[in-house]
Amino acid sequence: MTLKRNYREQIRGLAPLLVLVGLVLVIGVLRPGFLSWDSLVVTVANTAILFILAAGSTFVVMLGSIDLSIQAICSFASVIVAAMLPGYGYVAFPVAVAMGLVTGTVSGLFHVWLRIPSFIVTLATSGLLVSAALLFSHERAISIDEAGRARLAWVTGDFLGLPNVIWVAALVTALGIWSQKYTPFGRYSIAIGAGEPATWASGVRVNRYKVIAFAISGALAALAGVLMAGREGSGSPTLADQLLLPAIAAVIVGGTAITGGAGGIGRTAVGALIITIVRVGMTFIGVDIFAQQIVFGVVLVLAVALTIDRTKIVIVK
Amino acid sequence: MAEKAFLNLTDVSKAFAGVQALAQVCIEVRPGEVVGLVGENGAGKSTLMRILAGVYRPDSGTLLLDGRPLVLHSPREANLQGIGIVFQEQSLLPNLTVAENIYLGQEKEFSRWGVISWPALRAAAKRQLEKVQLPIDPATRTAHLSFAERQMVELAKALALEERTERHLVILLDEPTSVLEQREIDILFERVRALRNRASFVFVSHRLDEVLHISDRVYVMKDGKVVAQMPAAETNVPELHRLMVGRELHAEYYREARQREPAKSLVMQAESLTSEGAYRNVDFVLRQGEILGIAGVIGSGREALTRTLFGFLPHSGGKLTVAGKPVRLTSPDQAAALGIGYIPRERRVEGLVLALPIVPNITLASLATVMKRGAIQGSKERQLAESWVEKLRVRTPSVDALCLNLSGGNQQKVVLSKWMNARSKILIFDHPTRGLDVGAKEEVYDLMRTLSEQGMSIILTADTLEETIGLSHSILVMRDGEVTARFDASPGKKPAQVDLIRHMV
Repeated sequence: MTLKRNYREQIRGLAPLLVLVGLVLVIGVLRPGFLSWDSLVVTVANTAILFILAAGSTFVVMLGSIDLSIQAICSFASVIVAAMLPGYGYVAFPVAVAMGLVTGTVSGLFHVWLRIPSFIVTLATSGLLVSAALLFSHERAISIDEAGRARLAWVTGDFLGLPNVIWVAALVTALGIWSQKYTPFGRYSIAIGAGEPATWASGVRVNRYKVIAFAISGALAALAGVLMAGREGSGSPTLADQLLLPAIAAVIVGGTAITGGAGGIGRTAVGALIITIVRVGMTFIGVDIFAQQIVFGVVLVLAVALTIDRTKIVIVK
Repeated sequence: MAEKAFLNLTDVSKAFAGVQALAQVCIEVRPGEVVGLVGENGAGKSTLMRILAGVYRPDSGTLLLDGRPLVLHSPREANLQGIGIVFQEQSLLPNLTVAENIYLGQEKEFSRWGVISWPALRAAAKRQLEKVQLPIDPATRTAHLSFAERQMVELAKALALEERTERHLVILLDEPTSVLEQREIDILFERVRALRNRASFVFVSHRLDEVLHISDRVYVMKDGKVVAQMPAAETNVPELHRLMVGRELHAEYYREARQREPAKSLVMQAESLTSEGAYRNVDFVLRQGEILGIAGVIGSGREALTRTLFGFLPHSGGKLTVAGKPVRLTSPDQAAALGIGYIPRERRVEGLVLALPIVPNITLASLATVMKRGAIQGSKERQLAESWVEKLRVRTPSVDALCLNLSGGNQQKVVLSKWMNARSKILIFDHPTRGLDVGAKEEVYDLMRTLSEQGMSIILTADTLEETIGLSHSILVMRDGEVTARFDASPGKKPAQVDLIRHMV
């Protein structure tokens, strides 16, 4: 029985990768040009920002919580970059990322101190940041001038033939996988998600690690905003408005359990690629761009329904 | 046997995760009869009650009610068949009124076109409360009632069945008297006697004299089996006790020969330790290598005391000294940092992260021991886990097995490995043998003796007095939040159970 269970779990673990390969092949058959090197590089580069956005919240989801503020942080970061880059120069980047870090930390602290569910806290910080971004930008998209664009070369440029965003995403993946495997933070995140009472009763400072996870989530969401501002050449308070659903879908489709305790950033990378390819496929078969969120909503519910282990949860609220 | 049985259980068995809770149990209850059910903790009484109440389904065996096969899928179905239960853990919802609780799920009787007539429901509830002579307003919120009052409401809820069906009833009473005053117990027993023309009763209690007083016949259970059955008039408390335990106090069982005089040095000391509403003015000393047993019933304050010592419930007064320094523990990480480890009674919740393998569970309290330059060393961690698995003889195919798939005894060994790897100096054993079979229990006793020999200090709250007496060097008895007695439990000088019980109740 045990063996059978492990076998099933392995299949389940590999499923996202198989889905990804299947989708790539299907689209490759329908549109042979898709499988060319250049086209694949563009696809991966287009995935990078969604992935970085989703990567941060992966640890939060592993804890069994959720961060709904990532799209607001992402948009606000783009506004900060667009507004500050011309006048203040490179300091705009660390300021934007620090904003995300602080926001995430504050959300985390409220979550653990006041014992408020994470989705409520992050929903509140999200609202706060949306307003802040609107006020800060006077409700307009701020385009970045020539002088500012020169400082965005590190985002838009290439290195060794690959767009720099891919390198940034690869670095995030490597750091994420490393911290999961080799740091106490990574180990405790899984343990808290899988069994918080036992982890706490083992003397682990559960609250501290929860706050760290929210801080990482905020910082990476802001980094995604910085990269978006670079690629778009502008910042806007609504820049990332359509990204929350695909980002959470990427985490879950990749195989990180919504109930916590299993998953990882490597899986989120696969999930983000699946989401991008679904999007490419939808454009290819002519789904209206405004209807795509319907598909992501359905994909998210299906992915949760397929991956959730109902034996471990008694009551769903 | 002149009379035909009304409720008949034949060869009923039930196992949980490899532990046989019930093994081929046969019990019959005749119409109007009060059947007593006695046994130690873990003997299977509560499992049996839950099967009758429709909470659990038996793995095998048959249930007959009034000659017809009885298959229960839910407590509601049991109710419809005329089976009511007064649970040991109270099942009332504190945020509802007494009336709502009594008729929870039965509101249909009082509704027309989907609208409930509250006056009718309250009047009906009032009638039920009168049966148990509880003079409270049915519109009272249950949270405002005392513990004993709630127990009487539970009984009223079970008695409400008699108006719902014309059939003969079966009412299960699972430890109904443990929180009641004598006057309330008298009312309860009076009701039981008065209802015998309508109902049969199954009465579970630890208080053997009460069982003999109210029952017609008594079943004795031990290790999931029925070991004896006799009319209550033909037996007595000592005989029941001997049957429940199954042997005279057995020195060998608890490795008494290996009990050594502990060292003189103190590792922990409590002076007038107090936690408002839980316990007060508790004094004790714990020496190196000593096993200190704490005895007491539920509500005696011993559970709260052990939780204070691991930082779950900070004390509000008095002084706690650990390793010579005064401390107030406000979270488990502080306790762990002082070298205290906790083996919880809720092993599967607080002891282990069940969905993770053995390796990370063993290092969960001491990840630093396998780290080098800021990184966890996977191979070293694995070797360490393997060495503990070998040392404690954890039976598992590999250290990568999920703790979920281990038996209770092996899970307990993994919890112990965790604290031994963290080099704990003081271990709090909170009901360490709960749910373990006899062989696994003996292994735990063995390990506790070995740890004690090696200088580990242990605080023990055990499931049975026998265990407390057999294992401890000294014993603290608590009642109503205070220490009522202290006993030296050196080999040869061990106190008897009755000596302890006198100070417990």
